Amino acid sequence: MKNIPIVGTSVPRMEGRGKVTGHARYVDDMVLPGMLYGATVRSRIPRGIVKKFLFGPGVNWNEFVVVSAKDIPGKNCIALIEDDQPCLADGVVNHPEEPLLLLAHPDRHLLPKAVDAVSVEYEPLPAIFSLEESEARQQIIWGADNTFKSYLIEKGDVDSVWQNADHIVEAEYTTGAQEQLYIENNGMIAAFDPEQGLTVWGSLQCPYYIHKALMKLFALSADRVRVVQMETGGAFGGKEEYPSIIAAHASLLAAKSGKPVKIIYDRMEDMAATTKRHPSRTRHRTAVAKDGRILGGEIDFTIDGGAYKTLSPVVLSRGAIHAGGPYYWPSIRIRAKAVATNAPPHGAFRGFGAPQSLFALERHMDHIAQVVGLSPVEIRRRNFLQPGHTTTTGQTIDEPIDLGNLLDRALELSSYHAKKENFSRENAQAAHKKGIGIASFLHGAGFTGSGERFLGSVVGVEAVRDGTLRILVSSTEFGQGTNTVLCQIVAEALGLRYEDVSIAQPDTHEVPNSGPTVASRTVMVVGKLVQSAAVGIRNTLAASGMLSDDYSPEEFRAACGAYVRKHGKFRSVAQYEQPDGIFWDDEKYRGSAYAAFAWAVYIAEVTVDLATYSVAIDDFVALQEIGKVLHPVFAKGQIIGGVAQGIGFALYEKVVWDQGRMQNGQMTNYIMPTSADLPPIRVYFEELGNVYGAYGAKGIGELPMDGPAPAIINAVEDALHVSFNSIPLLPEDIFAALYENSAPLTIAPTARGRA
Amino acid sequence: MRANPAEYELVAPGTLPRVLSLLAHDPGAWLPIAGGTDVMVQYSAGKLPSRKLVSIWNLPELRRIDISGGEIQIGAACTYTDLREHETISREFPLVASAAAWTGGIANQNRGTIGGNIVNASPAADSLPALMVYEAELLLVSLRAERRVPYANFHIGYRQTQLAPGELVRAVCLKKQFSGYYAHARKVGARNAQAISKVCLAALGHPANGVIEDLRLAVGSVAPVPMRLAETERIVKGNRIDPQLIQLAKTMAAKEVRPIDDIRSTSRYRAAVTGNLVAEFLERLRAHAGRGETRENVLARWNNLPADKAAEDILPCCGSKTWALAMAKRRPILAEAALLSACDEVWKNLPESDWLEAFRSHPRIGDSHSPVSAPARSASWSGEEQRQVASSGEDVKTALTEGNRAYEQRFNRTFIVCATGKSAPEILEILQRRLQNDEKKELQEAAEQQRQIAHLRLKKWLSL
Amino acid sequence: MSESSEVRLKSEISLTVNGKLETVRVYPMERLLDVLRHELRLTGTKEGCGEGECGSCSVLIDGTLVNSCLIPALQAHGAEIVTIEGLASDGRLQLLQQSFLDCGGAQCGICTPGMILASLHLLKKTPQPTLEEIREGLSGNLCRCTGYMQIFEAVAEAGRRGAAT
Repeated sequence: MKNIPIVGTSVPRMEGRGKVTGHARYVDDMVLPGMLYGATVRSRIPRGIVKKFLFGPGVNWNEFVVVSAKDIPGKNCIALIEDDQPCLADGVVNHPEEPLLLLAHPDRHLLPKAVDAVSVEYEPLPAIFSLEESEARQQIIWGADNTFKSYLIEKGDVDSVWQNADHIVEAEYTTGAQEQLYIENNGMIAAFDPEQGLTVWGSLQCPYYIHKALMKLFALSADRVRVVQMETGGAFGGKEEYPSIIAAHASLLAAKSGKPVKIIYDRMEDMAATTKRHPSRTRHRTAVAKDGRILGGEIDFTIDGGAYKTLSPVVLSRGAIHAGGPYYWPSIRIRAKAVATNAPPHGAFRGFGAPQSLFALERHMDHIAQVVGLSPVEIRRRNFLQPGHTTTTGQTIDEPIDLGNLLDRALELSSYHAKKENFSRENAQAAHKKGIGIASFLHGAGFTGSGERFLGSVVGVEAVRDGTLRILVSSTEFGQGTNTVLCQIVAEALGLRYEDVSIAQPDTHEVPNSGPTVASRTVMVVGKLVQSAAVGIRNTLAASGMLSDDYSPEEFRAACGAYVRKHGKFRSVAQYEQPDGIFWDDEKYRGSAYAAFAWAVYIAEVTVDLATYSVAIDDFVALQEIGKVLHPVFAKGQIIGGVAQGIGFALYEKVVWDQGRMQNGQMTNYIMPTSADLPPIRVYFEELGNVYGAYGAKGIGELPMDGPAPAIINAVEDALHVSFNSIPLLPEDIFAALYENSAPLTIAPTARGRA
Repeated sequence: MRANPAEYELVAPGTLPRVLSLLAHDPGAWLPIAGGTDVMVQYSAGKLPSRKLVSIWNLPELRRIDISGGEIQIGAACTYTDLREHETISREFPLVASAAAWTGGIANQNRGTIGGNIVNASPAADSLPALMVYEAELLLVSLRAERRVPYANFHIGYRQTQLAPGELVRAVCLKKQFSGYYAHARKVGARNAQAISKVCLAALGHPANGVIEDLRLAVGSVAPVPMRLAETERIVKGNRIDPQLIQLAKTMAAKEVRPIDDIRSTSRYRAAVTGNLVAEFLERLRAHAGRGETRENVLARWNNLPADKAAEDILPCCGSKTWALAMAKRRPILAEAALLSACDEVWKNLPESDWLEAFRSHPRIGDSHSPVSAPARSASWSGEEQRQVASSGEDVKTALTEGNRAYEQRFNRTFIVCATGKSAPEILEILQRRLQNDEKKELQEAAEQQRQIAHLRLKKWLSL
Repeated sequence: MSESSEVRLKSEISLTVNGKLETVRVYPMERLLDVLRHELRLTGTKEGCGEGECGSCSVLIDGTLVNSCLIPALQAHGAEIVTIEGLASDGRLQLLQQSFLDCGGAQCGICTPGMILASLHLLKKTPQPTLEEIREGLSGNLCRCTGYMQIFEAVAEAGRRGAAT
């Protein structure tokens, strides 16, 4: 077997040609014969009882297909963790934009007017919109106490740390909702055949999530539901669970009309009705010794889940586990809960709880530094996890990560010390204030704890007649490089050419369930399985005697082709098995939370313009240890793209709410950075390998989301000597903090303790 | 897309009289649509009440720019790109050009029109404050009549204008009287591009004799209409700028505006930022005035030189001895504006032989050596002007050398172009185009380039 | 709404798209974007926002970059349109398309057609643009995946390779 390096090189994007020529097929590019267009009638109130629908004048209702909850053959729910979210509201609504009815018509231009012409009589019920209101429990809108889920993570003996603490530092941090803002809106096409069953094509991350949801909704067996992923124009988690809803809607219309139905949201509908990042509130209370070491602490982490449970427990889990960051906590108590409000359910968005809790932690570290009298560098250095230490869940760090070293390298790359000194000297006279800030963090790849075991992902590699290999996974490509990297892995594993490997379009009739494309797991977990399955192909060929031990790519292809022509197509399958030594207790939430952590230090340099109070980022260093760089161009692209979203999270992307409804649902008013707003983002990697990941890779998709916001806000505090504990931080907020005494923006860190 | 195209009518009569006729025939029934960057957004959102639209896009009568009698008339259907690419606008009305550059991205600049910006009348519109400080006048036209109104009175309320039913804006008129003014503008939006402004300042200041003789400040997004800061202007005019005055102006400006809280920003922020932007402008104006005093000194010194010395001193700016002597004869010249216009007048009236002499004072574009006869200062300025060319790649330089040779063969003199700010490939493109000119046209073009070079050099000469 | 919603008449609109003369019967207020995607089945031009903010619908009209979601069909009558499908010829990618592939300029690909058209337009005006000029030239095209840097590299690289000629 020849050793041609493919992994670690920037091979051409597998599906790239179609993307640069305009031939790639996204769901809205497809048209089926006889196809109708669908639209959704949605609730205009946040909570209430639905009394009556009135179909107004000016619309030829005979021409429309109308679907309500009554048309649902199976269970009226979007099956996920729990079945509490209805597919169509049935008598009760719990959030603005909740789907009530579905309409379809051959002429898509007639739908907006028809949707407007449906009026609904409600009996409004009192609604709640904030974490605090939900916790107050004056109105119970979900379950017994508005709480979707709670976790308690405990380590050591927290109650004993306070009396010996030299300092106790307390503060509260909040983060707002954030819209994923994939440039391709959500869309689905569904077709229903009485014998074949249901087929949906769409923009999505997780074909099998939709498959499961449709089975339940229609009471159909697995073989009579088929989900196919089209080219997907960005997802970032926003197409993890949400597409099940739009798929369900298109399917109901297709089933009722007997015709294929396409539903494509426009931007305003997509922003208002679909999931966003969970707003959060984190309260820290930390006991610190006078040399800056953390003795222990309590963290109260609460997220707003919106009106239904959806994925909130999992977001909560990840946020809670990451709440302690890359530091050693001898003792800790983390109380985490996800609560209900009358807003459209919040959902998956890159980072999935970790950006929220890590924002709080990394801001808090700077505050601890101030109280103790150390620099932001020193406070981190003295508290970093080291090999042999245990994390907040008691997971032992058993790789040779040297965070102090990583920090030093980031400091050097960013000229941190020189700049910090210059800025503090020059700021006094300067019209614009400059600052520099650090964030150090980690991100666990793969499903938490026993999650991968429960998933039991299955992959296949198939030998094709022409002697090439085809990868069969339900893992989807949406820009992050799934197709390319999995093909690289197979090619490298077997010593083939990259051109000799392809990957099947994710179609639940064709590919096994390799798990959802989330949680930074695809390259690491699915990649390793694919590598395994590929080896299985070689073993079969070798056993047949058709392949010698030392073969060239051409010889492999010839042997493989010959085998298939003689014996027929064959495939090698691999299934996930939890490695020995990974132990997780779901009850106590203790043990090895993740197979691998990636580690990072980000440094942001900012200028605050005191004429406009706006923050410009002048330089950004993103340094991370990620196991192995499988594709240099793609890896760099993932980091830069994630940092850009993190910058948006910190400084630009504010969701304006009114009574649970997003008011600024247009690109004009929901502000994401343009090319003119971002600095050059300098990306650097380190590679320690990872025994649990393909070719030593760790997941990197979500990591870059965690660091930018705290690094930037730390830099702003460095520039202005004003503490900001809430994001997004807009110029108006900076102005208010500097000049308006009316409302304190934040709860400043309080410190108590011995003198 | 929330509108049904089947419910809308759009006609394109193709000429202005036919459009006006339609508008007159059915007043209020037809909504004019030019580039569509506002109308189509409303339409797509399902929020356009008008069902009948008449296209005024690219009407030749409306998409033209004319200069005559000390005034520039910008046709209402000129796009932002048209404005940005127009040399006179960039030079004499830079605030209009900068506003055009801030509006949307390139694609929207290629379609959005100045007339549309005016008639749409959003207080956040980017070009309106610039028009206010330049004291624009609008030519309004209907089937029966044409009238001219000061732009200052055109907006009568939130998104309401003086435009009568059946009327269109035909052109925006700007008087060429601002070349001596210091111009400054700043737009504050939620991001650096594609942003609706939260506050937008356009400012002109005219320092003279140690004081601010004239000051014009206009702000967008701080009131239902774009507004002049009349009170702030009043307290600054006629005074010397010092820190106390700046502070007073800042406070007055913040008080003068009437902003609101909306989805984009807060009223207190807008008011405070207005004050800050005015202060920032006044700081810059003070620095500029300081440099201007230097200019006054240069002119004062030059005015007092004997004639032959004065001619010698100013010769490097142009290269023609006749020009230099004529300029010396026009003394005393007291201000930059007068200097530049004297330059133009003299240059315009020179015989061809003197133009050629001026051309000969330049090195070839791309050559590192100057002709031996050029004075040292001229050589050094040539070097600066050709800096971008000097640092370009070898293949471009080769192409330029060949181009120069072709030009000299054809026209029997050096190729002259105002190289400052132009890249080598740009210059090559210009050269290739001009090679196609006939003799008469080419002489005019070269002379115009020389005039521009002279202006740049005169400005440098003044600051030394 | 007080205006009557009687159905208006369609117009016959002729336009040259990627060098080919096309005639369509559409309502004059049909968006050019929809004429391209629905009437002519050229689905390479995308809709990201419908309000002229994201640039995914960018095309060239008579050599000028525009957002096709904001152009009524009637105003495109007689025009020459270039869409993403018009770039590669005989299966050979243009330099700009190749440099997007080489530099990681396309991730999910949805902004890519518009981004490439905007880049093409920029390179025609400024064959060797500086970083600032690229930033400005592409400021009307939003990308959520790449953070823009690899797109800038792709454009600069294309410029160096002589893509504008």
